[in-house]
Amino acid sequence: MKTRTTVMGGSRRLSYRTAVTAISAGLLLALGSHKAAADGPDADTTARAHQLAVSVCASCHGPKGNSEAPKFPRLAGQSATYLAAQLRAFRGQTRGDPDAIGYMWGMAANLDDKLIDALGAYYTAQAAGHIPVKDAALVARGKDIYEKGVASTGVPACAACHQPDAHGTPDFPRLAGQHTQYLLKQLGSFQNNMRDVAVMHGVAAGLQQSEMEAVAAFLQSQP
Amino acid sequence: MTRSRFASPAAWLAMLVPLYLAGAQTAWAVPSFARQTGMACEACHTIFPELTHFGRTFKANGYTLSSLKQVRDVDAAKSELLALSQMPPLSIMAQVSYTDLKKTLPDLSADGVNGKALNGTVAFPQQISLFYAGEIAPHLGGFIQLTYGNDSGSFGIDNTDLRFADVAVLSGDQSLVYGVSLNNNPTVQDLWNSTPAFGFPYAASNSMVSPLAGTQIDGTLAQSVAGLTGYVFWNESLYAEFGFYRSAQQGAANALTGAAGPLDGTASNVISGSAPYWRVAYEYNTGRHSFEVGAYGMDVKLFPGGSPGGEQLLSGKVNRFNDVAQDLQYQYLGDVHMFSVNGTRIHESMTLDASAATNAVANKSNDLTTWRLTGTYYYRHKIGGSLGYFDTTGSADAGLYPSPGEGSLGVVTSANNRPDTKGWVAEVNYLPWLNTKFTLQYTGFSRFNGGGNNYDGAGRNAADNNSLYLLVWFSY
Repeated sequence: MKTRTTVMGGSRRLSYRTAVTAISAGLLLALGSHKAAADGPDADTTARAHQLAVSVCASCHGPKGNSEAPKFPRLAGQSATYLAAQLRAFRGQTRGDPDAIGYMWGMAANLDDKLIDALGAYYTAQAAGHIPVKDAALVARGKDIYEKGVASTGVPACAACHQPDAHGTPDFPRLAGQHTQYLLKQLGSFQNNMRDVAVMHGVAAGLQQSEMEAVAAFLQSQP
Repeated sequence: MTRSRFASPAAWLAMLVPLYLAGAQTAWAVPSFARQTGMACEACHTIFPELTHFGRTFKANGYTLSSLKQVRDVDAAKSELLALSQMPPLSIMAQVSYTDLKKTLPDLSADGVNGKALNGTVAFPQQISLFYAGEIAPHLGGFIQLTYGNDSGSFGIDNTDLRFADVAVLSGDQSLVYGVSLNNNPTVQDLWNSTPAFGFPYAASNSMVSPLAGTQIDGTLAQSVAGLTGYVFWNESLYAEFGFYRSAQQGAANALTGAAGPLDGTASNVISGSAPYWRVAYEYNTGRHSFEVGAYGMDVKLFPGGSPGGEQLLSGKVNRFNDVAQDLQYQYLGDVHMFSVNGTRIHESMTLDASAATNAVANKSNDLTTWRLTGTYYYRHKIGGSLGYFDTTGSADAGLYPSPGEGSLGVVTSANNRPDTKGWVAEVNYLPWLNTKFTLQYTGFSRFNGGGNNYDGAGRNAADNNSLYLLVWFSY
């Protein structure tokens, strides 16, 4: 299990002793989390997650996480860390976009941490697909925004965090191959803060609808 | 064979009357499922009671998916002995309605006086139902409905479906759901809304005039049979089911002992042995679209019974009803717009050896075909409506669809002894909340019991049975 990166801010100066203690504790935590990540979920939990993914999650998220219905995000190849963080947010009812409330708050309510991590591990291991978009001009415009941002309105390049290939990092989700409609709905939820993520709220605030549609079309078609 | 004999085949009427419209009275919307899963109604329903793909898999899996805390017990070998939800899956549902017939009915109470029944029926309630709907134990779930109806004035058993289900993970991460359903209404266990038990109209007035004819599988056997069926659902797309139904009548008693059984010749329409039921369906989902095509059927052999004089014992000749049906469903589920189409065609071949032997029917062989096609649209889960077409045709039989006798007031008779009934249902719905529905419904008949004008032989027209229906329907 990985720990989330935190950014310390403020101008208060730490004493030497406090700093040493903090660093030591941080190292211990990092080592601990590294050990947990190396161990991975036990066989029993992995089997439970596999059963759950095939018999329950697949009804909406599709076989092996490649959903057909654009209402439900594709999970195949998604970052395990990101998936686990989202499942914990559903369980804790801190992710508040409409479908999260209607579907996932209940679905995740009884998942324990081990099972959440195992589900993340299952989906990250699945082969991700993509869905071609016919409108080449739209895709090209989306690619441009994705890679460079929109300078006139101060929208940063998506690629800076989500990576040039849109495959993401452990903390920033994979967007390649994701359903256009799902991406648009999420951007809308970031804009109106139903999904309360400060960074994405800032990024999405300056995006016009046509720009979001272009980026989403590019991402859906991105392998 | 005498004419008066045709005019009063009580057993036949009991068997054939309620069907298309009355069979749709019972209704289903169960918030206890939402409480159990922690998921909103929209996960399983477009608008209740129509199921989404996820709703179908939830049902196939035995209503057992739960996010509730459990009271548990295990033995020393870690074998699970108990997993009991801390909240029982109980729900209540109520329907309050108003029905206005285009032309009221003659008043039967005052013999020889040409009176009229009071039009404009207020039903308060039309129906109140109590449900146990949810998980009973791991892999075991139930949908048990007890209903008070203003027509019977009492509580009774309504649709019930007890299920055991499990799922096997196949190679390539394909799933195979398999299970068993113990239920009291053929097709109540089905996953699609194109079959009779959960088909449109989802709610209808019980103060309308019901046509004489309907097939066995189309609600005729509801709550008077018990069926045990086994099913498989492969990869959430290919579905197959097979099982048997046997009579399990409510309120019937053995004439000799007064006990609840065994059934004797005083009971009507008792299934000889067990009646096989079968179902196959294929569902294909792509994008926001879901398609289903399927077939289902039942082969029922009935002893007519209903003759205390011993004229028709529960042995010997039977009336055989072989129902074969096809169905289809299409759903489009958008975030703003939802659209669905349901349809079915049911064909029934009757071989009425038992009734022919006592001259209760004119023909030994008859047939009946019912078509039904419905389109439904909703905007933002709030406002929507349905338009449904229905059409039943079949062979003429003076015993099954009797002409009015001497002094008869008609209405439930057929001048030409034909079953043909045709018309449409249009309704508009408003849901301020997902568990509260206001409905304005109009049912129009172009043909009723065989005819348009003077269909009953007593001067009533098919369109006189048109009805306006206002309904408040909520569940909690």
